Amino acid sequence: MESIGNLLLGFSVALSPGNLFWCFVGVFLGTVVGILPGLGPAATIAMLLPLTFKMDHTAAIIMLAGIYYGSKYGGSTTSILLNVPGESASVVTCLDGYQMARQGRAGPALGISAIASFVAGTVGVLGLMLVAPPLARFALRFGPPEYFALMALGLAMVVFLAGKSMIKGLLAMLVGLWLAGVGTDLFTAESRFTFGQMELLDGIDFVVVSIGIFAVAEVLVNMESRGGTELFKVPRGIRNLMPTLKDLKDCRFAFLNGSVIGFVIGVLPGAGSTIASFLSYGAEKAFSRYPEKFGTGVIEGVAAPEGANNSETGGALVPLLTLGIPGSNATAILLAALILWGIKPGPLLIQDNPGLFWGLVTSMYVGNVMLLVLNLPLVPLFAQILRVPYFVLYPGILGISIVGVYSVSNSLFDVWMLGLFGLVGYAMRKLDFPAAPLVLGMVLGDGLERALRQSLMMSEGRLSVLITRPLSAAMICLALAILIMPLVHKVRSFRVKAVEQDV
Amino acid sequence: MTIHGNKELLTGICLGAFGAYVAFEAFKLPYVSEFGPGPGFFPLWIGIGLTLLSVLLIVANLFASTAPENSKSQSRTAIGRALVGWSGLMLAIGLLHWLGFGLSLALLAAFLILALERRSPWVALSVAFGLALGFHAIFALALGLSLPAGPWGF
Amino acid sequence: MKRSWCCLLLITSGFVLSGAGGIAHAAAFEPTKPIEAVVHTGPGGGSDIFARAIAELMQKEKIISQRLQVVNKSGGGSAVAMSYLAEKKGDTHTIGFFTGVWITNPLTTMEAKTTIADLTPIVRLVLEPAVFAVKADSPYKTMKDFIEAAKKNPNQLKQSGGSVTGRDNLVRLVVQKATGAKWVFVSFPSGGERIANLLGGHVEAMVIEPQEAGEHIRAGNMRVIAALTDKRLPSFPNVPTLKEQGVAVPVIPQARGILAPPGVPKEVVQYWEGIFDRFAKSANWKQYVEHNQFEDGYLKGPGLNKFFDDLTVQMREVLKEAGAKVVR
Repeated sequence: MESIGNLLLGFSVALSPGNLFWCFVGVFLGTVVGILPGLGPAATIAMLLPLTFKMDHTAAIIMLAGIYYGSKYGGSTTSILLNVPGESASVVTCLDGYQMARQGRAGPALGISAIASFVAGTVGVLGLMLVAPPLARFALRFGPPEYFALMALGLAMVVFLAGKSMIKGLLAMLVGLWLAGVGTDLFTAESRFTFGQMELLDGIDFVVVSIGIFAVAEVLVNMESRGGTELFKVPRGIRNLMPTLKDLKDCRFAFLNGSVIGFVIGVLPGAGSTIASFLSYGAEKAFSRYPEKFGTGVIEGVAAPEGANNSETGGALVPLLTLGIPGSNATAILLAALILWGIKPGPLLIQDNPGLFWGLVTSMYVGNVMLLVLNLPLVPLFAQILRVPYFVLYPGILGISIVGVYSVSNSLFDVWMLGLFGLVGYAMRKLDFPAAPLVLGMVLGDGLERALRQSLMMSEGRLSVLITRPLSAAMICLALAILIMPLVHKVRSFRVKAVEQDV
Repeated sequence: MTIHGNKELLTGICLGAFGAYVAFEAFKLPYVSEFGPGPGFFPLWIGIGLTLLSVLLIVANLFASTAPENSKSQSRTAIGRALVGWSGLMLAIGLLHWLGFGLSLALLAAFLILALERRSPWVALSVAFGLALGFHAIFALALGLSLPAGPWGF
Repeated sequence: MKRSWCCLLLITSGFVLSGAGGIAHAAAFEPTKPIEAVVHTGPGGGSDIFARAIAELMQKEKIISQRLQVVNKSGGGSAVAMSYLAEKKGDTHTIGFFTGVWITNPLTTMEAKTTIADLTPIVRLVLEPAVFAVKADSPYKTMKDFIEAAKKNPNQLKQSGGSVTGRDNLVRLVVQKATGAKWVFVSFPSGGERIANLLGGHVEAMVIEPQEAGEHIRAGNMRVIAALTDKRLPSFPNVPTLKEQGVAVPVIPQARGILAPPGVPKEVVQYWEGIFDRFAKSANWKQYVEHNQFEDGYLKGPGLNKFFDDLTVQMREVLKEAGAKVVR
């Protein structure tokens, strides 16, 4: 019954006119930030921090949090319409979302993305409210061996992303893993593959690679032929601008999948929304009745990752608010903000500031509703972007890509890299190499290597530590099972063929 | 061998060479550190993996059917156009430092429209101007992002 | 003819006088446009928050006529920021916020070509103290306990921290050398992960700033067993320093302060010194220092130069003994 009291307290705080206003400001800004490729919620929150000094603290955290989870709504827009990942986690949405747009189903894609984000975002808030403290303590049991196992499980997703040629998928993944290793080694401060360039000391930014390989390469491919208008079918009629009831029914599992996986991954400090999206996509494909259709424009392939990266924000707030431990860049800045305002984040935050905590949690319900109302009507509007003639659109996409990359680090070097990866992405398209495994390798490579070396450092070099701990053992077994699956499948089909030939 | 086969062979060789390079460089780095694998460990295995898989790719292709599975016309003009576009992009990036974002984007747009789409110069100019202005209005003014600026401040 | 010579004389003397007046004016430098404050972290990083806070406080105190605009130049530790400052030679409207990394980074990284000696020191503002913390239910109640246990079981105990060239590891190295104990250092890139691993029992100890530790201690999850400073910290009056516990090691300072690009004229340096003089005396600043549990480390002029030189030598030694590759 305490929870009812808390909820009432929370709603009384969240629904006050001032806080409602700031909530709206936050989610609106967040959506805009999410739509823009490159610029992320972390940088935006940091830039707005000075403005919050004069604000009431509850209102300020409501607004900043609004930016955080609002940005996940916007990230899918450019991914679906232009194959430009608006946010790191939206890379997975590009896979099926853009294909849907090319088939004239941009409206349903955008719509289901908003709906999935709403469902999963709400589940994330529910989770935050109900299971935060015990889940946070459980998350503490995740040490380096468990993280390694999680990353290995993520890499096993390559099986679901490789498409026709497994060899090419693995090759792409290895290149991605290599790209992740460029930079300064964390443990020995040695530089690896930096070619003497100071700008490479911190490694290659993921945004540069993802925008280059997806967006720029796409433009280059389309430049091959004049008259690119045939490639974009603009949806006509209101029925084609929204997901149908059948679409919603198809995505039932995706909603659940995205919500749960996203939230759980979010709780783990250091595991980000990109991993959550990949895992959710892989899980969706694994349990689908028509897995081979994924990658060609399947609506569940949009719903699952979009849901995952939204409930991840709810999950990421769990360690922040219950333990005072930030799990990602954006939550780290939120933590700094709380400290700057004199609020002490830690296990006692909920006790000391119940108004703030419950006000924030309930404001997230409100915020998610606001975002749904904001985003759904905008879908037909956004879909009209496809009407823009291609010869305006393509320079525009290139311009957005440059702005996006430049806004991350203000470095012209990164823009050069963008051009380079655009060419790499184009070559990959011509040679039938799938882009997703490369991106997957790059996202997970860092974490995988780090977790392995940390585990071995902690166990004095004994590899067995990965298998003796129950959590990591379970995940590694799952990963191995997934990896062996296609081989078993091939052997079986080979046998069937052999039997047929015999007969 | 068909064009298709050649393409795979070339890819395999290039990737194999890349893998060998990575492994070679990784070999120079310490393989083990104080506790556990050193900085050279992962890249070495990645390089070896790349080389092995490249060989596998070449071999798998040797046994593939001689007729390409999907007859995509590897038209030279198509690739040529894309590369021209790419060169335009790289040129524009190079000009960012000297001319600033607005002008470079305008030039890129004009180049693409004139050279690749063969539209009239009026279309090219208006689109170029419009894009540059639009970008400046949205990104520089409304959002306050810093764009690469030339000597004229934009 | 005479008239033209007179005119010429008048005009020339006019120039000379105005020139002299101009020089007299230049002695009192005043910024005419926003000041670029360069930090080496991205938005939300330690230096970024520090610089933004100072910019905010300066506005409040109205000490400076122009505002400070924080510019993030992150990359390669401090390499990108330092090289950015070096490129802005003579620029009077740019300053940089340094930390210990600005000194150690060029020592270990070949690509970091700008060293602290290339830049113009202005002032050191604060010293960030650190403490040695363990989990609240761990068997180690004092630093001595921990060291004894480490001696008995070499390389069994683990400490979480950041980069191997950062302060956390350097503290470990000097203590190991002085006591003969040995324990493992495990790097985690983010503070959150370091704390999570300590609280989760995956590592036994970590070096942490008192302000970060505060809440975890209050909640009863963490225990501080040593203050890594010269004197006891006001917020932890019952925690003895390393020296008091019999571990005679030099204190590895984590300093924060202001630098200017190379080739900046003396008047400008004096101007900045004056600004930060007044700033350091302001009540708001003192409150900020106290709130964040910093140590007031105000230092300028030749004392500051000596601080940098001494620190460079000390770091080079410690890093060499640590087995890190020292390239400069």
